[in-house]
Amino acid sequence: MTQTPIRLTVNGRIHEITAAGDTPLLYVLRNDLALNGPKYGCGLGECGTCTVLIDGAAARSCVFPVSGCAGRDIVTLEGLGTREAPDVVQQAFIDEQAAQCGYCLNGMIITTKALLAINPRPTEQEALAALRYNLCRCGTHVEILRAVMRASGQLTEAAD
Amino acid sequence: MASPVSNEAERPSGSLVVVRTVDEVTSETFVRITADGSVTAYNGHVDLGTGIRTALGQIVAEELDVSFARVVVVLGDTALVPNQGATIASETIQITAVPLRKAAAQARQVLIARAAERLELPASELRIEDGLVRGHDNRSISYGELIGGETIRLELADDVAVKAVGDYAVVGHSVPRVDLPAKTTGELTFVHDVRVPGMLHGRVVRPPYAGVDAGPFVGTSLIAVDETSVRDIPGIIAVVRIGDFVGVVAEREENAIRAAEQLNVSWKPTPALTDLADVETALRANPSTPRTLIDKGNVDAAISGAAKPMQRTYVWPYQMHASIGPSCAVADFQDGNIRVWSGTQNPHLLRTDLALLIERPESEIDVIRLEAAGCYGRNCADDVTADALLLSRAVGRPVRVQLTREQEHAWEPKGTAQLIDVNGGLDADGGVAAYDLATRYPSNAAPTLALLLTGRISPEPAVLQMGDRTAIPPYDYDHMRVVAHDMPPIVRASWFRGVSALPNTFAHESYIDEAAAEAGIDPIEYRLRYLKDQRAVDLVNAVAERAGWTPRPVREEKDGEVVHGRGFAYALYVHSKFPGYGAAWSAWIADVAVNKSTGDVSVTRVVAGQDSGLMINPDGVRHQIQGNVIQSTSRALMEEVSFERGTVAAREWGAYPIIPFPDVPKIDVLMLPRQDQPPLGVGESASVPSAAAIANAIFDATGVRFREPPFTSERILKGLHGDAPARPQALPAPAPPQRSRIWENPFAKRAGIFATIAAVCTAAIGIGTALLPGRAIAPIARPDASVYSAATIARGQQLAALGNCAECHTTIGGVLNAGGRALQTPFGTIYATNITPDVETGIGAWSYPAFERAMRDGLHRGGRQLYPAFPYTHYAKTSEADLQALYAYLMAQPAVRATAPANALSFPFNLRPLLAGWNALFHEGREFKPDPARSEAWNRGAYLVESLGHCSACHSPRNALGAERREAYLAGGFAEGWEAPALTSLSHAPVPWSEDELFAYLRTGHSRHHGVAAGPMAPIVRDLKALPDQDIRAMAVYLNSFNDTATDRQAQDALATKLESATQVTVASSTGARLYQGACAVCHEVGGLPLFGTRPSLALNSNLHSASSDNLVQVILHGITEPVSSDLGYMPAFRNSMSDTQVEELVTFLRKQFAPDKPAWTGVRETITRVRASTH
Repeated sequence: MTQTPIRLTVNGRIHEITAAGDTPLLYVLRNDLALNGPKYGCGLGECGTCTVLIDGAAARSCVFPVSGCAGRDIVTLEGLGTREAPDVVQQAFIDEQAAQCGYCLNGMIITTKALLAINPRPTEQEALAALRYNLCRCGTHVEILRAVMRASGQLTEAAD
Repeated sequence: MASPVSNEAERPSGSLVVVRTVDEVTSETFVRITADGSVTAYNGHVDLGTGIRTALGQIVAEELDVSFARVVVVLGDTALVPNQGATIASETIQITAVPLRKAAAQARQVLIARAAERLELPASELRIEDGLVRGHDNRSISYGELIGGETIRLELADDVAVKAVGDYAVVGHSVPRVDLPAKTTGELTFVHDVRVPGMLHGRVVRPPYAGVDAGPFVGTSLIAVDETSVRDIPGIIAVVRIGDFVGVVAEREENAIRAAEQLNVSWKPTPALTDLADVETALRANPSTPRTLIDKGNVDAAISGAAKPMQRTYVWPYQMHASIGPSCAVADFQDGNIRVWSGTQNPHLLRTDLALLIERPESEIDVIRLEAAGCYGRNCADDVTADALLLSRAVGRPVRVQLTREQEHAWEPKGTAQLIDVNGGLDADGGVAAYDLATRYPSNAAPTLALLLTGRISPEPAVLQMGDRTAIPPYDYDHMRVVAHDMPPIVRASWFRGVSALPNTFAHESYIDEAAAEAGIDPIEYRLRYLKDQRAVDLVNAVAERAGWTPRPVREEKDGEVVHGRGFAYALYVHSKFPGYGAAWSAWIADVAVNKSTGDVSVTRVVAGQDSGLMINPDGVRHQIQGNVIQSTSRALMEEVSFERGTVAAREWGAYPIIPFPDVPKIDVLMLPRQDQPPLGVGESASVPSAAAIANAIFDATGVRFREPPFTSERILKGLHGDAPARPQALPAPAPPQRSRIWENPFAKRAGIFATIAAVCTAAIGIGTALLPGRAIAPIARPDASVYSAATIARGQQLAALGNCAECHTTIGGVLNAGGRALQTPFGTIYATNITPDVETGIGAWSYPAFERAMRDGLHRGGRQLYPAFPYTHYAKTSEADLQALYAYLMAQPAVRATAPANALSFPFNLRPLLAGWNALFHEGREFKPDPARSEAWNRGAYLVESLGHCSACHSPRNALGAERREAYLAGGFAEGWEAPALTSLSHAPVPWSEDELFAYLRTGHSRHHGVAAGPMAPIVRDLKALPDQDIRAMAVYLNSFNDTATDRQAQDALATKLESATQVTVASSTGARLYQGACAVCHEVGGLPLFGTRPSLALNSNLHSASSDNLVQVILHGITEPVSSDLGYMPAFRNSMSDTQVEELVTFLRKQFAPDKPAWTGVRETITRVRASTH
């Protein structure tokens, strides 16, 4: 097992990672970079809790080896915004109270971010389809959908 | 309210605390106010994702008259919070908050009395605003000032007056959840995110009796653990075994994962377990003790006198909590100071378990509770905490243990199956003559797993009395008997949202609906006849009005393929120890659409009404109701644990689907304003009417009663049409004749074939001997590579890439071209040799003529025959100049000393001289001759493909002696357990190959119309990157000449789109379809949200259309871990997540769905077994 350092850009900062190349990106983000956003959910890319942006596209970091990330631009939940200066999607999720336990929240927010990047004003049907493979067990779907519509500027207070 | 950032206990100056003395040395704190004015509230329950942290903060702020922002709520840390038992039964607000509310009120009263004294004003004239006590003269003093440097300790009084509801300013108003800003930005909130200095990573290996926790084999099944099996993994700290508990600890998480997968553990065979294919039979056979909960009137006489007897059985399936995050914990075992960070539901009970497990006093253990993924009852949170503690104790360092998805699915205590028999009927007036209900609930508290696995507690299952929740119907029937048959669990089971009340209510509310239908009376009107509770009546009426319920005394027959229906159900969730008490009242009106052809049920709208009494945080209650509606709709429609041989088979989301976004119903929440009534639990109530409301709606739509959820399309079709399928299914076309699989099946012991081979070879020896012996070519000193130009060496490098030399001559992770890689052939194992220029072990002593002879004639420099696994039959066609360049390149590489292991070939193939005969039969050592009738590109492509490229080595079928069949050039073959598909017009691909698609595939590893290169093809395309575009184009031109079809790009695209739209998966019609939707569709569904990488279309994928399932099985089991390029993305391996049966279901479905014109594959199960055993 050769371990040459792998250089990746995470949330705008360059990191040299020494790990086996087939290590899923998820573990590098969580353990080497101490990021909490991406979560382990299934290890099979099924549930979406581990979603990050790789070169702007949603990617399931539990099935994406770190060797494939060399030179790529990775953004996690932490890279979107902070409590003091949240991203518009994060703020929309707070405003809509779109979490119960919140474990799936990372995937919901990142997937919404990826969706809005290619479709800034999705219809409800498009939003539902985009989130089809992000699982939520608490049943927060209604609030999450509202958060997506709010983040895309399509939910007015009058409609509340 | 402030966010809880730390669980601190100390403040520098004075404080006021309200405590309850437990014994002489122990007391429990409820509220602490410090001199700086901050307020901390302590509660023994935990927030399971329901937002009780926020609601408890509101209660304290209200009673203390401080702003909500000032209150920090500490939950579930055993060192700090009162022991208030497990967070169950939706009782936090209803029960557990009571002392907290009183403590806050008591503190306020003491502080206001002090203020009155200090301000010399009567207390009645003081006002409080956010902890500042103000008199009418505008003088004021704060709580902090009133406390000052003093330490004030108040014993919690029982008779404290709390605020009148009318005076509430904080409670009863919606406030945002305090935890969301942290959760949306990735701050530390979850136990999964705890990082302790020096922390190691652990994984556990669970026994084979997956999900079963009772029986003499539990804790006694381990035979051996072979620690040497993980010796090659770096940073392994320990392998731990205690009884049936097995765990590994490593420095890095991925290495712990690898070790847990790789660890060789042998187990005794598990005895035969209860077959759960038929839940009803299994539950009836489970030993039980009847316990009568109510026996009113004369039930037996009333039943025998019933005008219309009605005997019904309702069956509830096994279901999962299915927490989105598998459980995780961190433990730090230090002498006398043991800390665990846990997502437990019950910190104090867990501490008792941990003390028992490690035989230490509870006082040495601190359970620090952090949030975890939502649990709706007892999941694996306690199990993993105990696992972490055992591993930390073994290594003396902090250890984090993360359960895998598969472990959480398999081992979480299930929400148990339940069987409810109702006997009764209608009297002459259409009323309920009698109601005789018997319920069976095989579940207990699911002891913490490590206690069982280590043998600390007996694996004899406890029998609890929990099947009685809401077992008595809410209806005032004159003759009524309810009996709970208490029984031990069959598989590991414990409470799950709604506990036994949800299944019991499914029976109550289905039965009364059946009775109403039989009586010809509107189902709501019918219920109201028996409903005596005024709040229930109010709720039922309010929900009926909100939904626009029209009375339906007689069911109307509906026409059309999709029929609509509407159903009602009501429940008062009665929980806790019998007779228990009620939480919130709940009623549902569900609208459904049922597709009679596909069996698909959609719940389109739910009106959910609830009377929760006082709602502390109305928005929080609304979210809880919506969550309950969605989750319980999911449970009713699609959730059922599958078992194989009595163990849990569902280990990922495809096998246990939960409701996806597009299937979520529209929800209209109606919350009755009851702010003057005591607050009631809202965590579960809205789930309880769910399944019955949906079943009643399906009946309204179809006229068929469904008494066993989940209401999957198979069940609906069976209910509507009986066992016969809805549509006549096409008979499978006759299977194609089985081709000889000897080449795919290494070491096949087929005596007949072997005898033939030996005979043929022996006959050929006569010819072969003429060529023997191969003359030795004298060794030379290693050539000086500087005699070759850089351009020649570079050209040689390209040619080495074209020939994929390194692929065979390099071990995985080994030094380039140093040999040693084992090549499995039907005739035994051949080890590739060292082709670096090392003089002794490589080819450093080889002159160019020796090299050329090897390449053209398959002879070693020393004269012995080389096996044709080395494709000299192709390399022979290489031009002189190219061979020179290749030689130059190889000689210019670093020499590496490495000797390959000896080949392991069976007789007669271990006799090299026989190969001379083989060569005589099958080898033409001629250089490539261009065809002047063809284009330059074609000839260039032909040269590359047929010489070093050696495409046909894999893509042509071989004869029994392993030689390519020339008459079937590129007609498809097998290599390394993978099918190398036909590249000619014999291709099974639904869209024929074209030059452009061949170019795209060879250049990028991906063709829109065919899929991605995987298996042995991926490294080949990777190697081809060394070649310029025009060479790849030439190969495409040549290969395309074997396709007869003229290609029209537009027509091909149109065909592709047509095939894709015709094969869209819209209904989860089978286990295989559900596996596809849960596991595959995220990356393969046409038109889904783009994820990083390609999105290979299964409708077009050649492998789905092939005559053999091998490649599909290969990628499902082993994934695509090394694609041609990371740009294509990766595919995970499902071998550890799906059983053979599941993979077979999936493969069969994929074939039928995406290659509908092709016959079903035969022998899929055998293929799965074979591919599982292979290493690729």
